[in-house]
Formats: sequence, C-alpha cells, structure tokens
Amino acid sequence: MPRSLWNGTIAFGAVAVPVKLYSAVATKTVHFHEVHLADGARIEHRSFCTKEDKQVPREEIVKGFEVRAGRYVVVDQDEIDAAGGTRSRIIDIERFVAVADIDPVFYDKAYFVGSQDDGADAYRLLQAALARTQRAAIGRFTFHHREYLAAIRAYEDVLALHTMRFADELVGPEDLDVPKLSRKPNAREVEMAGSLIASMHAPFRPDKLHDEYREAVLAAIERKAKGEDIVAPDEPEAEPPDDLMAALQASLGKGGPMAEQEPDGKSKSKSKSKAKSGGKPKTTKKKAKA
Amino acid sequence: MARSLWSGSLSFGLVNVPVALFSAARDLDVHFHQLHAPDGARIEIRRFCSKEDVEVALEDIGHGYELDSGKQVVLTDADLEAVAPRKTRTIDIQSFVDRDEIDPVFFDHPYWLVPTGEAEGPRRAYRLLVDAMGERDDVALGRFVLRTKEYLVVVRVRDGLLALSTMLFADEIRPTKGLGPGGRQPAKAAVDEAVKLIEALSGDFDPADYADEHRKRLRAIVKDKQKGGTVEAPEQDAEPAVAGDLMEALRRTMDELGSGGKRSASASKGSKTKGSKAKAKGTQKKAKGSRSERAKSRG
Repeated sequence: MPRSLWNGTIAFGAVAVPVKLYSAVATKTVHFHEVHLADGARIEHRSFCTKEDKQVPREEIVKGFEVRAGRYVVVDQDEIDAAGGTRSRIIDIERFVAVADIDPVFYDKAYFVGSQDDGADAYRLLQAALARTQRAAIGRFTFHHREYLAAIRAYEDVLALHTMRFADELVGPEDLDVPKLSRKPNAREVEMAGSLIASMHAPFRPDKLHDEYREAVLAAIERKAKGEDIVAPDEPEAEPPDDLMAALQASLGKGGPMAEQEPDGKSKSKSKSKAKSGGKPKTTKKKAKA
Repeated sequence: MARSLWSGSLSFGLVNVPVALFSAARDLDVHFHQLHAPDGARIEIRRFCSKEDVEVALEDIGHGYELDSGKQVVLTDADLEAVAPRKTRTIDIQSFVDRDEIDPVFFDHPYWLVPTGEAEGPRRAYRLLVDAMGERDDVALGRFVLRTKEYLVVVRVRDGLLALSTMLFADEIRPTKGLGPGGRQPAKAAVDEAVKLIEALSGDFDPADYADEHRKRLRAIVKDKQKGGTVEAPEQDAEPAVAGDLMEALRRTMDELGSGGKRSASASKGSKTKGSKAKAKGTQKKAKGSRSERAKSRG
C-alpha cells in the first residue's frame, strides 16, 4: 500500500469523514539524468550569485518577490507558508454540484481518498451517496501549506479528489489569436465528415492503449547500448489537404487500406495522394480499428 | 498573446489540419526568485560536469539512462527526436469515443488547438472538424509526443474551437484496491438521508464563485513585508471528530439547514475535536483572511 500524502477530515454540517489522500497517478515516463556528453559524467546544478559570480551555499539563499524591476521583498518560507490558510486538517465542503457540470479543464491533479479506521461507516455513506447522486463535493483544504479548491466524487468503490483550477487561471478563446475561420462547410462535407467520425467510432478502452513511445525510447536505449545508431524510421509526414472533399472521400473509401484508393480521378487530388502514397497511411486506419 | 507550445498537424483520416497548441491554463501563482541573502543579487543556476568541475553549455548535455547492469547509455536530443518523428509532429486521431465514457481522472492538462497557415483548405478542414464533431457528442482520441513523453489526447469542441486535453494512460492511474474501507454497504435509510442532505446543499457549479484565496493572502503577505511588518501563521481549524451516530449527525445538519443555517458550515458546535492546533511562531501581524473570519461565520 502506498503512503498517504495527507490525513484529515472531510466535513459538512455535523458529518465528519476522516480520510487519507493518496496520489492517483504514477507516471511511467522514462527518466534520464543530465550528463556531460564529452565524458558521460553527471551534471550538477550549482547556485551562483550573479553579482559576485561565485557559488553560494544553500543557507545563503532566500526568496524574494519582485515588486518592481530589480527591487525585491524578501519573504521567509514560514511567511509564504502562512498563506496556506487554516484547513491543514480539514476539507471544508462548501456545496455539492453535479459532476457532469464540471468541465474537465477545471481539474488539475487527481488523488484518491482512502478511509481511516475510525471513519469507515461515514466513508461508505458519503461514497454511496455521491455515487447515487452523481454529485461532487466542492470544498477547500490546505495541502503542503497551500490552499486548494477541490472536488470530491465517487470513483470505483472509493472517492477521488481533484484539485481545481480557478476560473481566472483558464485561457479562453478570447485570449487567443484565432484566425477567422472560413465560411461554413457545405452540408455534403459535414455529412461526409460525420460518416468518417461514425466509421472511426469505438468504445473507450483505456486498458488497450499504452505508451508506445515509452517502449520506443527503451528500445532506442537498448540499441544505443549495443553501439548502434538511432535512425529515424521512415514515416510519412502529414500534409494539409488541397482538396477537402477528395481527402474525405479517400478516408471513407472502403474502410480497409483506404489510402491506396484513388478518389475518382479528380485532378486536384493528386497532391494529396502524392503526400500519402510514399509512406504507409494505412497505419492511421488500422489503429483506429484496433 | 501566449506563445504556442507546439505546432504540427492534426490528422484525421486523410485530412490533415495544421494547428498550433496553446495552453488553456495560465500560471497565476505568486512567484519568488532566489536571491543571495548578503547582497540581494539574483541567484543563477549553472550546470557543471561533476567530474571535470567545469561549467557545461546546454548543447553539451545529453540524456543518461542507467541500465539494470549499472552501465549508462547516453542519448542525444537528436536520438530522442529520431525515436518517433511523426509522433512529435502529428496528432493522429485514432478513434472517436463517447465523451461520457472517459472518466475525468484521465484528464491531464488542457490546451487549445488553433488553425495555422494562410491557405483556405486547412482552415476549412479545421472548421469542418469543429462542425462535424459539434453535431455529435463524440470526442476524438489520438496521440502525440510532446517534450519526450507520449500522450493520449482527447480533442473536442469547446466554444467553437478544438480543445485538446492530454490524458494519462490507464497504467499510470494507480489501482484503488485497499484504499476504501470495503465491507458491507451502508443501510439504505442512511444513504437516503445523506442523499437528502447532499441535495439540500447542492447548487450549480459556477467557477466564478470561487476565488484563489491563497493567492490573495500571499500577495497581502508580500505587501505586509514590504511595509516592514511580520507575518504570523494562522491557527489551524480543528479537525471534527466522527459522529458516534451518523444518522443523528445527518438529521441534525438537515435541521440546522432548515432553521436558516448557512450552507457550508463544517464542524458544528456539538462535535468534539481531535485537537490539532498548529500554533506557529512569529508574532504581531496576522495573515489576512484566516481563522477569525471563519470563526465568526460559524457562529
């Protein structure tokens, strides 16, 4: 059993549910160390004073907030921690909302909530009631000296807690420089794209999907260990379509090795088929079916 | 405007749409710089070779991986780029799935996909994908490599644009076995009562209702410090004890709600506390928005 990251109590009204928090995520990325290419020795990060140009021991380093260019207010770690609020032992539920109403963009990190021995009944009750109502409890708590907004919901037969982003932390379309999108596609194009989507529809089976890149990196490490060079596989690059209809038709064609099919002799489709015929565009489709 | 983090192609069947990736979340945290205490100068991190004790330029740094045998293999940036070149430049949509089928626990980081290029064709393809996906309740499932990690991604329509979320792989989500209490299901009457209470405390999710109080407090602390004040850590809220009688606790809370009580009152008067008062050092001033306000609202 993994170690819990935080222990405390979920509280709403007179109801108290003592819980433990566990990380929900264990990333499987291949980790590398920084090494000096010349001799393979490890790289060390050293802190230097930019004024004196000399190395500085840890204990001489403080944190400063830049109030205006080049002017800093030094703040102790204890003082930074004091902003963490008062809920280091309590998840204070403010209200319940429908899980479906929370767009996933608001979810930041995911944790699992485990029970404590003295609160098993209360835990089961909250879990069952959240599962039945499909609601999430929204509350705040202090974790590692930082206050978070959190959503707690039923997940499998436990509770999951998501720390949440605040509304002003989200970037909206108005913050982006989006070029004017072209006129509405015609009905025929939308219909064809709809058919293509339907033909690629599949159930979501996360257990069938794994990190292929990670395997490729590990394989590359092995090749390199044997002294082989790592050569890029011959993969076709995606090119934008000149003729959208032709590309849609070609995608839809036959469901099998679709790209091999020439869309019915339209001259404009040439550049499209040129872009694709070099490689093995079948992969896209195959994966879609898998 | 923010800079794009990646640009490449969104590939859907044989339709390729050139797009740029922008983060849909911005960092509004209060950030601090490391300073050298004696002279207040900025600290800079420099990379040194641990063997030669000389500073090393970024381009002379490789990626070391230690094999089980203890032997180290070093990969260069070029090696890593060569591992899966297409994946680093193309988001390949592999299938479309019902959006309800994807549990939120899979979602990692939100982004926007913005069409690039001047050509009419690609822009129409982008628009077409928006329109066709918008008509259905499907989301596109694809994958691509961003900064040496492959991501499963979901592409969906949000506010008339394509939104992308990186996703975790199923084997990156920990099993929940053993975390819950297991055992018998709670009695139906108790669940009914809890459901009633949850419904009474329910409201719409309006993100604008929630502000980052932590950020505000941290800014206030910096301001206090600037004026030469000191900052005191707030006293911590007491942890309420588990009710001996759950049904009674549920009913009591319902009653309090009924009698004009406010939603959100945690730790009602009657409950004992486990007593966890973290008293902190420092004196004089108090960090703003801390316990005193809350104590009042609890009555």
